[in-house]
Amino acid sequence: MDFLVPLFRDLLLSFVVAAGFGLLFNTPRRVIWVAGLLGGLGHGLRFLLLQQQIAIVPATLAGAVFIGLAGIFLAHRVHTPPVVFTMPACITMIPGLYAYRAMLGCIRITNLEMVKKDPDVLPVTAHYFVLTASLLFTLAIGICVGALLFRKRSVKSIFRRIF
Amino acid sequence: MRNEAIPLQISDEHASASACRVADLLLDIGTVLLVSGAHSGRVTRNIERVARAWGYGLEIFITFTGLMVSIKNEADPSERVARFRRAPLHGVHFGILTEASLLTWRVVEENLGIDEVEDRWAEIRRMPHHPRWAVLGGVGVACACLCLLAGGDWRNAGVALVAAVCGMFVRQEVLRKRFNPMIAFMLASFTTTLIAGLDMLYQFGASPEKTLATAVLYLIPGVPLINCAIDLIEGHIPTAIARGVYGGFILLCISVGMSLSIILLGIHNF
Repeated sequence: MDFLVPLFRDLLLSFVVAAGFGLLFNTPRRVIWVAGLLGGLGHGLRFLLLQQQIAIVPATLAGAVFIGLAGIFLAHRVHTPPVVFTMPACITMIPGLYAYRAMLGCIRITNLEMVKKDPDVLPVTAHYFVLTASLLFTLAIGICVGALLFRKRSVKSIFRRIF
Repeated sequence: MRNEAIPLQISDEHASASACRVADLLLDIGTVLLVSGAHSGRVTRNIERVARAWGYGLEIFITFTGLMVSIKNEADPSERVARFRRAPLHGVHFGILTEASLLTWRVVEENLGIDEVEDRWAEIRRMPHHPRWAVLGGVGVACACLCLLAGGDWRNAGVALVAAVCGMFVRQEVLRKRFNPMIAFMLASFTTTLIAGLDMLYQFGASPEKTLATAVLYLIPGVPLINCAIDLIEGHIPTAIARGVYGGFILLCISVGMSLSIILLGIHNF
């Protein structure tokens, strides 16, 4: 049960992150809470999977796909296109730390002395660069999961098909 | 030159809607959607919905910097109009996306005529952004929470908040003075990293690295990058390439701004 408090903290923090990015993207005020909710649940799911020793890329994929699918259902409820809240929700999982390390590595590589002193900087930078790119692409897949899984193009027609 | 309405009967309900007027309206909706952060599939769907409802066949060509629309009256195939319009500067506005989607569905479901749609669209176009202080606050709190999520402590998060708010303020001011948007990204990330870098310099809080990594995340071009992937998957290759290059260049500008202030503070400290 001792994972519940960190999980709750994770949910709450990512709720705020998604809502903040909703403001930045001009998501309408009436659906900002949806962005927060999806961001919280998606990030929470990733948190739980990471706790189970699952690697970060599949864990992020699961979180993003959850956000994408839940977004389709909620979009129908609140009469809003899903990207309006799935986009800020997925931003909660943006790989900022890895991107930063990749960039710092690039600055170090410009200095030959530093590379010679610490040759590890090359593989480490390459690792963080590839990891950042993979995570970004994973988030994109989560957002367009609707277009991938359903042949119909708009949320309304998906719902007409299912129900 | 704007063409005057050509008095052609389209259907009894929409007798006043001439092809040129329809094409101009569709083009306007399309370009505004494109710059507000809609992927190519969404732009096409929204416009096509309206064109079909009014009895027109639609061909559309989307580039990142402009839109070409060609419509044909299904009832009278000799009536065709093709128009092109350059797109203004890109700026994400999901409120417009939402309202445009609702409006185009209303055209289908409630049989709206062109007069009503033009009036409503004029209102949607002028839709305001969220108030500036709300965006500043939201961005600051979001970056602080990202810092906590990444493993920073409360002091790191505090520094990230101040750094993000200051950087965002710089960005808003630079954009308001109509400078190049890329300069705005660079100056904003420079400012943010300068403030967040002080955290690293004075080793304030548990892990200052997290402050530096998360304080600039409000600048990340998430919308163009994700739209790039969506366009690739849906097969809109020209827009996908342009969005990818645009997003990638913004990332590069952010890194340049960060690098400048990191070098200024001394790379050995990082």
